[in-house]
Amino acid sequence: MSSASATARISLSSLRAHKRRFAGTFSAVLLGVSFLTGTLVMGDTLRASFDSMFAGATSGTDAVVRSADTITTPGEAQGVRGPVDAGLATRIAQAPGVAAAAANIQGSGQLVGADGEPIGGQGPPTLAGNWIEDTRLNPYRLAEGRAPERSGEVVVNRGAAATGDLKIGDSTVLRTPDPVRVTVVGLATFGGADGMSQSTFTGMTRADAEKYLTPTPGEAASILVRAEPGTEQRDLVDALTPVLPKGVEAITGEAAAAENTEMISGQFLDLFTTFLLVFSGVALLVATFSIHNTFAIVVAQRTRENALLRALGAARRQVVGAALAEAAAVAVVASTAGLLGGIGVAAGLQALFPALGFPFPEGELVISGLSLGLPLLVGTVVCLGSALLPAVRAGRTAPLAALRETAVDQSGASRSRTVTGLALAVTAVATTLAGVLLTPSIWLAATGAVLALAAFVVLGPVASTAVLRVLARPLGRLRGVTGALAGRNALRSPKRTAATASALMIGVAVVALFTVFGASLKATMDQTVDRSFAGDVAISAPSFGAGGSGLSPALAGRVAELPEVESAVGLGRGVAEVDGTGRQLTVTDPVALAKGLDLGDVRGDLAALGADGLALSTAEAEARGLALGDRTELAFTDGSQATFTVRALYEQPELAGNYVLTREAWAPHRGQDSDTVVAVTFKDGVAVDSGKAAVEKTAAAYGNPEVQTRDAYAQSSAGGIDMMLTLVYALLALAVLIALLGIANTLTLAVHERTRELGLLRAVGQTRAQLRAMVRWESVLVAAFGTAGGLALGGFLGWVLVQASQGSGDTDFAFAVPPVQLAVVALVGLAAGAFAGWRPARRAARLDVLRAIATE
Amino acid sequence: MNTTDAGGAAARVVDAVKVYGSGDTEVRALDGVTVDFPAGRFTAIMGPSGSGKSTLMHCAAGLDTLTSGSAAIGGTELGTLDDRRLTVLRRDRVGFVFQAFNLLPTLTVAENITLPLDLAGVRGDAEWIDALVDVIGLRDRLHHRPSELSGGQQQRVAVARAFAGRPDVVFADEPTGNLDSRSGAEVLGLLGRAVRQTARTVVMVTHDPVAAAHADEVVFLADGRLVDRMQDPTAERVLDRMKALDGALDGALDSAPDGAPDSALDGPRDASEIPDHHAQGAPS
Repeated sequence: MSSASATARISLSSLRAHKRRFAGTFSAVLLGVSFLTGTLVMGDTLRASFDSMFAGATSGTDAVVRSADTITTPGEAQGVRGPVDAGLATRIAQAPGVAAAAANIQGSGQLVGADGEPIGGQGPPTLAGNWIEDTRLNPYRLAEGRAPERSGEVVVNRGAAATGDLKIGDSTVLRTPDPVRVTVVGLATFGGADGMSQSTFTGMTRADAEKYLTPTPGEAASILVRAEPGTEQRDLVDALTPVLPKGVEAITGEAAAAENTEMISGQFLDLFTTFLLVFSGVALLVATFSIHNTFAIVVAQRTRENALLRALGAARRQVVGAALAEAAAVAVVASTAGLLGGIGVAAGLQALFPALGFPFPEGELVISGLSLGLPLLVGTVVCLGSALLPAVRAGRTAPLAALRETAVDQSGASRSRTVTGLALAVTAVATTLAGVLLTPSIWLAATGAVLALAAFVVLGPVASTAVLRVLARPLGRLRGVTGALAGRNALRSPKRTAATASALMIGVAVVALFTVFGASLKATMDQTVDRSFAGDVAISAPSFGAGGSGLSPALAGRVAELPEVESAVGLGRGVAEVDGTGRQLTVTDPVALAKGLDLGDVRGDLAALGADGLALSTAEAEARGLALGDRTELAFTDGSQATFTVRALYEQPELAGNYVLTREAWAPHRGQDSDTVVAVTFKDGVAVDSGKAAVEKTAAAYGNPEVQTRDAYAQSSAGGIDMMLTLVYALLALAVLIALLGIANTLTLAVHERTRELGLLRAVGQTRAQLRAMVRWESVLVAAFGTAGGLALGGFLGWVLVQASQGSGDTDFAFAVPPVQLAVVALVGLAAGAFAGWRPARRAARLDVLRAIATE
Repeated sequence: MNTTDAGGAAARVVDAVKVYGSGDTEVRALDGVTVDFPAGRFTAIMGPSGSGKSTLMHCAAGLDTLTSGSAAIGGTELGTLDDRRLTVLRRDRVGFVFQAFNLLPTLTVAENITLPLDLAGVRGDAEWIDALVDVIGLRDRLHHRPSELSGGQQQRVAVARAFAGRPDVVFADEPTGNLDSRSGAEVLGLLGRAVRQTARTVVMVTHDPVAAAHADEVVFLADGRLVDRMQDPTAERVLDRMKALDGALDGALDSAPDGAPDSALDGPRDASEIPDHHAQGAPS
C-alpha cells in the first residue's frame, strides 16, 4: 500500500466515522456556494433575456438619429440628451438607402389606474411617446385592440394595464404631468414581454405627444430609421451623417439596442448582482470562520489519534495530508452540491419573480463556465484555506500526546495576541480617523474598516474571557448552578468561543452597519427638512428621473390662489453644464422660494434674477470663486450657451440645490415641464388639517399627488431606505444562519467532548431540563458575545461610513444610532443563540447516564 | 428525607433481573438477586469480573432500570418513577462516588461539594458541609480547581460531595480503583468514619479484598446471583472467599461448551472494568 493511498484511506474512513462533525462545515460551504452560484446564474440569465428582449423589440430599427449633446450630472446614471427637430424625419426618409424614418417623441407620462392610484413611479420610468405607425420601427407591438387614431386615444403596455387593472375602452388620466384624460384603445408588448422591464409605456397620437410631452411642437427625442433591404446598418449611418445638421448624430440600431441594454444592466442589473455578490461574500466570510473552527476542534479532539499515527511512524506530512484530504473531500462534495443548489435557487427565482409582479423574461437559465467555476473554486479555497492551519497543527502533534489525558485546546489568549490585536486596533482607529477627518479618503477609511475587523478577530479570545465573565455573572445569579456551569463552559476555551462568536459577529456587524447608516440617512433627511423646509405642507411626486412624471407646473399657482394659502412655490429641475461639469438646476419663482424654504442668510436680491441672472449657494460660489455680480456661462442640452450674472447668494442649499434659476430663464432650454415638489405655506391661523384638506382638493384634479405634512414629507423621503434595509436584512439572514450553524456545530462537538461530565452531572441529579438549559445558555452566551462585538464593530463602521459620505458630498450628514432597532438586533442575536443551542442541547439531554460515566 | 422503611433497609432490590440483548446474545447480568442494604451500615459488593456487581449497584441507585424485579431507596420504589423523578431522587437522596472523573473541571472544590444541593436550588446544612470539609481535610483547597488536586484529594472531594446532602445512601463504585494504597486507605477510612460516626449508609462495589475489609458486611455476587454474605470481613477471609468463587467459576468455564460467547463472562455488565471496544457494544 502506498503512503498516498494510506493517507487517503485514513481521511476517508475518518470522514465516514465523523459525518456529523462535518455537517456544519458542509452546510456552510453549501449555502455560501449556492448563494454565489444563484447570483451569477440569475445575473447572466437576466442579462441575456434583456439582450434578447431589446434585440427583438428594436430589430426593425437600423439607425437612430439623435442629438449629440448630453449632460450628465454627478450621481446620475443616465445623461440628459437634447431634442432633435422632428421635421428631420422627412429629410432623412429621402436619403439613399432609407426605407422609412419616424420621429420618436419621448417623455414621461404616469397613468392612473382604475383604483385612482398612479401606476408605477417607484423607480422604473413611466414613459410616454408617440405611437409610431411604422410597425417595424415601433419597438412596441400591438397585442390587442388598435393604434390610437384620435386625440385622447392611447395604447398601453400590457404589464402596466394589468397593474392598473385597465382594459380596452377604459378611460383614465395620464399625468404628463398635467392631467390628460385618455381612453385605452390598445395593449402592447415589448420584445415579447409585457413591457420593458418594470417601466410603463403609453403610446399617443403624434399630435397628442407633441402637445403634452414637448415644450414646443416639432421636437423629438430621436428619429428611428429603417434601411432598404440589402443596406448594412453601418453603411446607412455613413449615408445619413452628411445629411444631418450640426449637433445631431446617427448610430446603428445595434449600437442603440446595446446602449439600451447597457442602461438597464448598468442601472439595475449590475447594481443588483454586485449587491448580491457582496452579500454572498459576507456569507462566505462567515462560513470561513465556522469551517476553520470546526476543523480546529476536530483536530484537537483527534490529538490522540494523530499522535498514535505519528508514534506508529506516520510522517508529519502524512498527517497534514490526511487532514487536508478530508477537508478537500468535504469541499468538493459541498461545493458541487452548492452548485446544484444555486442553479435551483436561480430556477426558483425565475419562477417566483413573475408571481411577485417582476417580469423575469422566460427562457433557459444561462449557466456559464464562470458561474460554475468561480463558486466551485471559491468554495474549495474557502474550505481548504480554513482547514490549512488546523491541518498544520495536526502535523505538529507530538507522538507523546497519545499518552496525555485531555485533548482540548484550552489555551487562553497569549500576550503576543493581545499586543498584536491592540496594535491592529490602534492602527485601525488611526487610519479610519485620518480617512474621515483629516484627509477625507474613502480608501483610507475602508482600509481602517478592514483593519478594525481584523483587530476584532485577533482580540476575540482576549475579549471573550473578559466579556463572558461579565455576561455570565448575572446568569449564575439568575439561573443558579445551571447558569454558572453554562458560563464556565463558555469560558473554557477562549479561542474556540471567540472563533465561534466571530462568525456571528461579522454577520451582526454588517446588519448593525446598515442599520446605523440607514438611521443616519433618515436623520439627515429629517434634519434637512427641519432646517430648510419653511412650509406647512408639501405636495410631492417622483420626478422623471426617479420614475414618476412629477407635478404639473400649474399646480403651485392654483394652490397659491386658495384662501387658506399664504404662498405656494413649485420647484422644477433642470440641468446645465458649468465649466464642463453637469449641474442640477432648481427652476422656480425665487421670491416665493424664500417663503416656502428656509434659504438661510440671503445676500443680493432674489427678486432681481430675471432671465439672465441666477442665485447660488454660498458654498458653491466659494468653490467656484464667484461673488455677487460675477458672470458665469451655462451650456444647455439644446446646444445653446448663455451667460448669467450672479444676483443672489443663499446659505442653505439642502432642498433648494446649488443653482436657482427663474422659469423665465429656463424656458428656452426646457424639456417636458414639471415640478418635483410644491412647498405650501398657510396663512396665520389656518389649521394644518383644514389647510391640507383644501390643498388636497385642488391637487386631486392634477392626478392626485400626495400632500404631506412636514413630518410625513421628511419620512417619505426616507421610505426607500426602509426598503433597502429590508432587502439587506433578508440577504444577511443567510450569513447569520451560517454563523448559527457554526455555533450549533461547535456546541455539538463540545457536548461530545464533555460526555463524561454530562453523565456525571446527570448521575448526581441534574435533570434533563437543567442539562438542556445549561447547553442552551452556553449557546446564548456565545451568541451574546458575538452580537455585542458585532454591534460595536458595526456601530463604528456605520460611523465611518457616515463620516466618509459626509466628506464626499456637500450634504450635512447626521449620525444617528437607532436604539430600538439595535436592541431588536441584539435580541434577535440572543434568540438565535438559544435556537442554535436547541439541537445540541437535545442531543446532550438524550445521553444515557450509564454510558456517559462508563465511556473511557 | 432520611427515612428508612420498617425493615431498616436504606436500599433494597428484590428478585432483580437485568438482561442485556436478546436471543443468542442474551446476557443475564442479574439473575434474581434479592438484597437489603441496611441503614447505617457500610456494605461492600464483591465478585469476579462480570459477576454483575456494578449492574447491581447501578440498578439499586436508579442509574439503570431492572428488566424485572424491584428496587427501592428509603421505601421509594424506583420502578414507578419517570426519568425526572428518578433524577430528583438521585439528587436528593443518593450520593455517588465513582472510580474516576468524579468532579466537574470547571467548578471549584467547594462548588463541586455542593453541586447536588445547588442543582436542587437548596442551601443545605452549612454546619454539616463545614464539618465535611474538615473531615476530608481540604479546607485550604476549597477554591482550587480539581485539576490542581491529586487523585486522592479528588476522591476525597467526591466523598464530601456524596455526603453533602445527607443522602439515604451513598453508592461508591470502585472508589479506590485509580488510587495508590495510601490514598485509597484514606478514602476508605473516610467512608467508614462517615458510616460509624454519623450513621450514614454506604454501598461500595469493589474487587479489592483490602477495600472490602473496611466494610461492615460483604455481599458476594457470582454470575448474576447472590452467593454469600460475610459480616465483619477481613482482607484474608474475603480473599479466600473470592478464590473459592474464582475456582468455581473456572470450573464452570472449563465445562462450558466450545464457542460460548465471551460476553457471557466479561460482557457489558461491568462497564467500568472492560476495555473501550467492548463498551461500545454495550446496550444502552
